[in-house]
Amino acid sequence: MRAELLWLPLFALPLVLHNEVALTILVFTFILGMLAVSFNLIFGYTGQLSMFHAAAFGIGAYATELSMTNLGVSFWTGAVIAVFIVSVISLCVGTVCFRFRLKEFYFAIVTLACSEIVRLIILNWSGFTNGSLGINLTDTPTLWLPGRGVVPIVGTRMWYYLALVALIIMVSVCTRVVHSWMGRNFAAIRLNDELADTLGINVFRYKLVSFLIGNAGAAVAGAFYAFYLSYIEPNYLSIEQSLAIIAMVLLGGRQPVAGPILGAFVLTALPHVIEFSAELRVLTYGLILIFTILLMPNGIMGVVRRQRHVF
Amino acid sequence: MFFEVSALSKRFGGLTAVDDVSFSIARGEIVGIFGPNGSGKTTLLNLICGTLPPSGGRLIWKDQDVTGRAPHQVAELGIVKTFQNPQLFPELSVIEHVWIAAHLRLKRMLGPRRIATLIKPARDDGKLQQQVETVLRLCRLSEARDEPALSLSYGGEKMLGVAMALMCEPELLLLDEPATGLGHNEISNLGEVLRDLRHHGTTLCIIDHNVGFLGELADRAIAMHHGSKIAEGTPSAVLTNDAVIEAYLGRRHA
Repeated sequence: MRAELLWLPLFALPLVLHNEVALTILVFTFILGMLAVSFNLIFGYTGQLSMFHAAAFGIGAYATELSMTNLGVSFWTGAVIAVFIVSVISLCVGTVCFRFRLKEFYFAIVTLACSEIVRLIILNWSGFTNGSLGINLTDTPTLWLPGRGVVPIVGTRMWYYLALVALIIMVSVCTRVVHSWMGRNFAAIRLNDELADTLGINVFRYKLVSFLIGNAGAAVAGAFYAFYLSYIEPNYLSIEQSLAIIAMVLLGGRQPVAGPILGAFVLTALPHVIEFSAELRVLTYGLILIFTILLMPNGIMGVVRRQRHVF
Repeated sequence: MFFEVSALSKRFGGLTAVDDVSFSIARGEIVGIFGPNGSGKTTLLNLICGTLPPSGGRLIWKDQDVTGRAPHQVAELGIVKTFQNPQLFPELSVIEHVWIAAHLRLKRMLGPRRIATLIKPARDDGKLQQQVETVLRLCRLSEARDEPALSLSYGGEKMLGVAMALMCEPELLLLDEPATGLGHNEISNLGEVLRDLRHHGTTLCIIDHNVGFLGELADRAIAMHHGSKIAEGTPSAVLTNDAVIEAYLGRRHA
C-alpha cells in the first residue's frame, strides 16, 4: 500500500468525528507536526542537534503578525515575509556555527544561546512586540476557495483542513529532499562528515541548506500556530518549546519523514487525556523521553515497522 | 606538470612530521611512497588532500596552485584519497555508500541544474545507476551490494573505500596503505583492481610499508624517513638504497 493513502482517512475524519476537542487536538497535532517534521530534517537526517528551532518557530509567528499590522499585508504575504526573515537569520546563525565547525553539544549550546538572544530581544522590545504580555491577534487569515471566493479561516473544521494540507505539503517536500541526492548528502554528513568531505561533498553548504529548509518550515508552522491560537508570546521561543520538539521527534521516530507527527500527536493529546499541572507536564515529558530512549530508540515508528529507510 | 609537491612541510608544535618534501607525479604512472611507521607518509597524504593545512610549501595541480584547499575542493579537482583505516557510513549498505560517493559525478553532470531534480527526478539517474554498478563490479562488491557495509570483512571494507573513491572519478587516486591487514587473496585482488585502474588512465599514488606489494606495482618509488624524502627512483633501486635499508632495519654493523 502506498504511504500516501494513509492521509485519506484524515480527510474523512471530520465528517464522522464531531467532537470539537478531539478535532482541536488534531489541528494542534498537524501544526506541531509540521514543526517536528521540519526539525527532523536538521536533527534526524543531517544529525545536527539544533536548539534554534523554537526560535525559528517564534520568529515566524511574530514576523507574520508584525508584518501584517505594520505593512498591512495579508496573512499569506506575512507568512512569506516571515519565512524570508527566518531564512536570513538562520543563514547568519548557521554560517557562524558551521564555519567554526561546531558539532554536537557545542552546536546545541551556541544555537541555544542564539535562540535565547532572540527571545530576550522580543521580550524587551516592548514597543514593537508588546513584551511579555504577548499580542492578541485580531486579524483573521483568509483563503481563496474555488467556487466560494475569499473566505475567512474560522472554525475548527476549516483550520483542520488547512493544517492538514499544509502538513502534507511539508511532509512531501521533506520526503522529496531526503530521498534525493541532497538527502544522501545529509545522511553522509550525519554518519561520517570527514568521509563525506573527502568524497567531494561540501559539508558546510549542505549543513546550511538543511538548517535553512528546516527553519523555514518552522517559520510556516509558527505562522499557523499563532493564528490558530490568536495569541503570541515570547514563550514560543522558550527552551521548553525546543525540548518539546526534540521529544516529539524522539518519541515518534526519526524515520520515516512522517514519524515525528506521531510524537506530536501523543504529546499534544496527553495533557488533554490526563489533566496535568504545568510542572507535572515537564516531568512527564522527561519520563517519556527517558523511556523512549531506553526502550525504543527508533521511536514509535521504529516499533511499528522494522523496515529500514535511510534516505 | 600533472601534479607537483614543492617543499611541503608540516610541523606539530616542535615535531616536524613532514620536512621539506618535494616530488612530482606524471599522468598515468603509479608512484609508491615507502617508509617505516611514523615516517610521515599519512601526514603527507593528509596535506595533499586538504585534511591538514601545510606549515609550508606548495601543491601544484596542472600548473595551478591548489595549496590550502578544503578536502571537498581537492576531491572536486580530481584528487581523491582512501583512508588507512576504512571509513564507513555506519547503518548504510554497500551500494548506498557508492551512491553517496556519486555526488561529484552528479554535480559534474548537471551542475546547478541538479537543484531541479529535487522537484522532478532526473532522467540521467539511469546513467548514474550504471556507473554505480560498474564500480561495484570493478571492486568485486557486486554480490555484497545490499549488505550492510559493517558486515564486510576488513578487506571488503577497504575495497569499499576504493569503490567510493573511484565513484568520485579521480584523476589522481591516493591510497593510504591499501594492502595493510589484507589476506593474501585480497592483496592479489587489490593488485588486479589497481592495474585495471591504471589501464583506464587513473594515476595512482600508493603509500605502504608492504614493500613486496608496492614493489611489484609501482613504476617509481619514493622513500621517506623521519618526515623527509630519503630516496627516489625505480622501486628496485630505492629498495636497495643504503639509506632505505638503514631506515627499515637499522645501521649495518660491519
